[in-house]
Amino acid sequence: MEPNPATPPTGIRNNIRTLRFMASEMTQQDLADRIGVSRQTLNAIEGGKYSPSLEIAFKIARAFNKPLGEVFEYVGL
Amino acid sequence: MISSFEEKSVWVQLVSLTLVLGGYFVVSGSMLAKGVMVLVPYVPVFAVAAVALVLVMAFGYIVAALTGKREKRDERDRQISWRAESNSSWVLASGVFFALCALVVQLQAVWVAHLLLCFWFASELLKLILQAVYYRRGV
Repeated sequence: MEPNPATPPTGIRNNIRTLRFMASEMTQQDLADRIGVSRQTLNAIEGGKYSPSLEIAFKIARAFNKPLGEVFEYVGL
Repeated sequence: MISSFEEKSVWVQLVSLTLVLGGYFVVSGSMLAKGVMVLVPYVPVFAVAAVALVLVMAFGYIVAALTGKREKRDERDRQISWRAESNSSWVLASGVFFALCALVVQLQAVWVAHLLLCFWFASELLKLILQAVYYRRGV
């Protein structure tokens, strides 16, 4: 799966939006509740404005049943 | 984007602190200008400001809680808070340094107290402004 082309401010691209869409159009609130953060924090992660901790990154990957590398990709700044 | 409860709390604190402590500094500034150089007359003014601050903030928190879902503080909120505090604490440290200098040159207690209060106020304002910026710009 190809990550979003734009380089985000954090230097870490992610596919969360695509994965949510593929997971029966899961809402940000649903995913946020599952991983234990606020919807605004998930929105910041998805928009590349915030780099989550490893724990949250793994929780996101687990929520989609994907390896970490398929959800996040480091592209540098 | 709708703000989280934590972001709204930052705005509540920023507005409350600016209004109430700003008001205190206007009153105490006029008292200093009139030559009130003992600390005791400032105590009731400060007490009123402290009570007003609690009331205004409580009202703000209630409004913030009523206008959205109250969520627990998460790792991003904590990181924003730590970073803002780390980038603003030098202001308070400067205030302590200047207050010590003021004590060395034997400035009156009323000036030393207000110098410290002024730098604490500036430090808190900077912290809250940085928090508001980090919530919007990202960390």
